[in-house]
Amino acid sequence: MAPLGYVEILDAKDGVVERFFVESFPVRIGRGYGNDVILDDPYVCPAHVAITSDEQGRLIVTDLESVNGLRASAREKPVASLEIRSGSQFRIGHTQLRYRSVDHSLAPTLVDRDSRRLWLNSPSTAVIVGAAVFLLLCLDAYLTHIERVTFAAIVSEPLSTFAMLLLWSGLWALASRVIVSRFHFPQHATIACGAIVGFFLLSFSAEWLEFLFPFMPALWIAGLFGSGLIIGALVYGHLKFASTMRRYSRLRAALSVTAVVVGVSAISDYAGRSKFSNVMEFTGILKPLDAALLPSITIDVFIERSQKLKQDLDTLAQKARAAQP
Amino acid sequence: MKKYLAIAAALFLLAAFSPRDLLEAQVMGATTQEIFKQFSEHVVKIEVVETGSAAKASIGTGFYASGGGHIVTNYHVVSKLIHTPDRYRIEVTDLSGQPTQATVLGVDVVYDLAVLRTNRRPKGYLTLESKAVEQGTRLYSLGHPRDLGLTIVEGTYNGLLKHTLYPKVHFTGSLNPGMSGGPALTQGGRVVGVNVATEGEQISYLVPAERVFALLERTAKTQDPSANSFLAEVGKQIHANQARYLADLFSAKTPSVTLGPYSLPTKPTEFFRCWADALRRKEIPYVAITHDCSTDDYLFVSSEQSSGIVRFYHQLLSTEQLNPAQFYTLYSGQFQAGNTAVFGNEEEVTRFRCQTRNVQTRTGKLKAVLCARQYVKLPGLYDAAFRVATLGARNVGLVTTLSLSGASFENIQLLTRRYTENIKWHR
Repeated sequence: MAPLGYVEILDAKDGVVERFFVESFPVRIGRGYGNDVILDDPYVCPAHVAITSDEQGRLIVTDLESVNGLRASAREKPVASLEIRSGSQFRIGHTQLRYRSVDHSLAPTLVDRDSRRLWLNSPSTAVIVGAAVFLLLCLDAYLTHIERVTFAAIVSEPLSTFAMLLLWSGLWALASRVIVSRFHFPQHATIACGAIVGFFLLSFSAEWLEFLFPFMPALWIAGLFGSGLIIGALVYGHLKFASTMRRYSRLRAALSVTAVVVGVSAISDYAGRSKFSNVMEFTGILKPLDAALLPSITIDVFIERSQKLKQDLDTLAQKARAAQP
Repeated sequence: MKKYLAIAAALFLLAAFSPRDLLEAQVMGATTQEIFKQFSEHVVKIEVVETGSAAKASIGTGFYASGGGHIVTNYHVVSKLIHTPDRYRIEVTDLSGQPTQATVLGVDVVYDLAVLRTNRRPKGYLTLESKAVEQGTRLYSLGHPRDLGLTIVEGTYNGLLKHTLYPKVHFTGSLNPGMSGGPALTQGGRVVGVNVATEGEQISYLVPAERVFALLERTAKTQDPSANSFLAEVGKQIHANQARYLADLFSAKTPSVTLGPYSLPTKPTEFFRCWADALRRKEIPYVAITHDCSTDDYLFVSSEQSSGIVRFYHQLLSTEQLNPAQFYTLYSGQFQAGNTAVFGNEEEVTRFRCQTRNVQTRTGKLKAVLCARQYVKLPGLYDAAFRVATLGARNVGLVTTLSLSGASFENIQLLTRRYTENIKWHR
């Protein structure tokens, strides 16, 4: 006889622990061995509840005068009986149960992105990206080197950065192994390389912006928000391979990480600003650019603008005076 | 033998003049011992005492300058009281060893002088030398070096210094901390100057007697000034002083020095000292040439603050070996470097605020940063640093910084403009 449906025992995350098929009603559920669904829960009576079907085909769960009763969920009060339909849950003792009929409608099948030939999954991508990032690091080290150029001096810093990158990817790969049973090392390495390139582009563009338009605190914005976003993206990427999380949950996780990073740097920035310091910070950035291309103001405008500086200082001094006894 | 001859010659020369000179000449023969014996009773020890703990916060020396109990000393000896009058008091001790309390009657912060008064009537007082003193004249300075007891120090008068903000007597003799405010006497016992500062071995400075005279005159009629008002007076004096000496600084007539392709200001007035040096080493792929000018001198405002320091330094960087990206890494680093940590605590100054812009001048483009902070207790006075870097060249660049202390914002703006106008490309 074909089953009418299934009674499922659920775990805390609604995962199915065990399934009992239902051939006919009533279905008796309890700890006793005469039941259709036998539970090992010590809080369940030998004959705890029964599921019956009435003339209209409605399914009713009835409490068989059990010690701990029948509830719709752990939070609700015990009831004598409960009408259920396919997909409904109910609870007896410490056990959460669900009934599903055979024609229960299902969620659409997920596409397995892992099995498609994603460029990110190819180990050769990781090698190419890794080599490119290493060259980029070397180029940066060369262009910012202000002493006599030697091979060792140029390569040593990129090497240590690269070692850190491999270590980082290794830790994520280990996490992946534990959570999804696969290492995904090339993918994690590619994602970490992406973050390095991101940081590189961020500081490069922020420096140029600040050089060209010094009134815009480009470096400050990049430091506060840019790095937070990159770290968020990094977490999003790693979680794709190191967890079974869906896109939405990954996005949520990434955004929370971004929020935390931005929040912490904003707090430390604020703390640094309100603390007294007798250090002058000359925050000018200089770049090799033809002077004709550089937007500039006259010294008259510069002096005029400094009036704002004076006002700021006057406000600060007034506050300090007010704070003194 | 030579010494006696010199004294004999002096006696002879002086004897040839008036009877008053004759009288002095007899005193001039006095030995150090006699001078000490005769004049030490007019010299007092000054202690600034913290009221709460009754412990002395600073010590110095002073001397009676009138029969009414006026005492002359240095402003810096009593500056703590000026800045926080409710926390300190002044105690004056003469040879009797009995301390009495004194009040401040007036200060001259520019010349580092203060006049105090006690209620005790002194047995006598010292008079100021009104005649010009010749270089080489023997002087006797009295004071309490490091609180070791009243001491007499012999030295020589070596003229008025010209490279200072204001004329100071160059005294060749050893002044030590604690002697500040003490008198430097001629053999006749007349005050030529007031001990004020020392710059190492035998090089010491005195405030000229004429300034003491001016302050004594100003305070002669002052009865009981409230100590609270002195801070405002100090602010006013610094204001007036900076207005005077900054007014003509970096005007169009300022001499210039050529560094690489740039023409830059140098030694704007007599009271600046300039130094230059170059860093050229085989293992370094660039050359750095520095030119540094500063006032030798400053006004003591408080132990944490000074005013009147004007310093500017040029640093020319050039390279044949570095490519533009490398050179600008170096150049940028130099521009941001030396975030000069200056003195100052939260009670006395605000934080620095800076403004950065790209500025077009008549001959080229610059990156300019102006940083400033205000004095909390002396409103209207600021410390500032103006730093500039030339832009546009591939392998040469100049970073130059002008720093000012204790100046009005108007003067900071004025000097920022003039300084910028003095930076020229000659191509």
